[in-house]
Amino acid sequence: MDTAVIKGPIVIPDDWPGYSLELFSYPEHYHEDIDSVYIPHGVIMNRVERLARYVMDDFGDSIVVLCVLKGGYKFCVDLVEFIKVLGRNSNKYLETRVEFIRLKSYLNDQSTEELQIIGSRDLSFLRGKSVLIVEAIVDTGKTMKALLKHVETFEPKMVKVAGLLVKRVPNMAEDLTDYVGFEIPNHFVVGYALDYNEYFRDLNHICVISKIGKMKYKQEQSNG
Amino acid sequence: MHFFSCFVCVQESNMAEPAVRPEGTSGGIVIKDDWPGYGLDLFSYPAHYAGDLDCVFIPHGMIMDRTERLARNIMDDLGDHDIVVLCVLKGGYQFCVDLVDRIKALSRNSNRTIPMRVHFIRLKSYLNDKSTEDLHILGAEDLSFLAGKNVLIVEAIVGTGKTMETLLKYVEAFRPKLIKVAGLLVKRVPHNAACLPDYVGFEIPDRFVVGYALDYNEYFRDLTHICVISKRGKMKYKI
Repeated sequence: MDTAVIKGPIVIPDDWPGYSLELFSYPEHYHEDIDSVYIPHGVIMNRVERLARYVMDDFGDSIVVLCVLKGGYKFCVDLVEFIKVLGRNSNKYLETRVEFIRLKSYLNDQSTEELQIIGSRDLSFLRGKSVLIVEAIVDTGKTMKALLKHVETFEPKMVKVAGLLVKRVPNMAEDLTDYVGFEIPNHFVVGYALDYNEYFRDLNHICVISKIGKMKYKQEQSNG
Repeated sequence: MHFFSCFVCVQESNMAEPAVRPEGTSGGIVIKDDWPGYGLDLFSYPAHYAGDLDCVFIPHGMIMDRTERLARNIMDDLGDHDIVVLCVLKGGYQFCVDLVDRIKALSRNSNRTIPMRVHFIRLKSYLNDKSTEDLHILGAEDLSFLAGKNVLIVEAIVGTGKTMETLLKYVEAFRPKLIKVAGLLVKRVPHNAACLPDYVGFEIPDRFVVGYALDYNEYFRDLTHICVISKRGKMKYKI
């Protein structure tokens, strides 16, 4: 009989104001660029540890992790590290291979239309494998849907998606993400490898960018 | 689905008031009375405690993040004076180890260092979940080495403050130069205003919490998160 295990995600309500900055440690050069600490680094780590166990339960004896750069790299590294720790301390070992794919789909804080893969589009190493796509944030799901379509053309055995953050938006794709860390409101968040025009990747907590930050690090749209 | 309730973040305040200190004036992260905690299955925890816990009250990672900040605040205040850390066992040992680690990390990466010594004392004042009248202090028979030093008392949890008050009086008798107190958790209960720690991690409601070295009759010390014990847990591990 299945016990009702609550798989999450951790839901962050719309009115969650975040924690005041001076309650935590963070790089001082961002002190006027962020409004609040939205999800502390430590809570992310604890949640990722839990997700690693779900992954271990669902995958057989091998997994190919497809990490979506650049935003996904910290989540990927930490998730894989927890999977390895679980592996060496139990009799279940999940042979883990990590591959990287780089997508560009944001300019400033707006999602763009097309799926742009930077580098090789050749994912033939996925053929016949159990694949876990690891992405930092799933928004409308447009990018993820396009990526899934692309991945399927290489005929993997199984594909699952792990998303650290899933945004609560009107056209939200339910059930697109199999393992969700946190469900968040539609704020533009930075930190823990999530950037704003390449800034904030060195911030360990997930934070909400301030108006000052948005102006300071804004990039003009190119016309060429 | 489980919810983050509202953690209200507040600035530090130096108000001194009698009886019940208003919510949010301790300087710590405020956890409101109606905070339901996180569902256990949203996090990893030792399986042998399934059924003995109601919820995860404060995840281990958050304790670590807050401790990192407290370490910085301590470095800022205590500067280059060397300090003796007085760790209150057993509940305080995990917080003390993590706090001292953070202070050491800051220390070795800056030109400001604090030479630190750590000493342990043990207080016994709880039976089951009730605070008892007498306070037994073990390991503190001769604290004469505290004379003229800056002392940082590290305690896991401060409730009514009775224990802290007794301890402070005891330590003061050895004539240290300065005494500061770091408390990971401060309970929102009627208490002596003079016994609010200088460095507070979290201000919490009056619930019996376990984990992160806080025990219930010696159980739960091996739990990394701070959790609320369930009725079943209380019965099971009752003396």
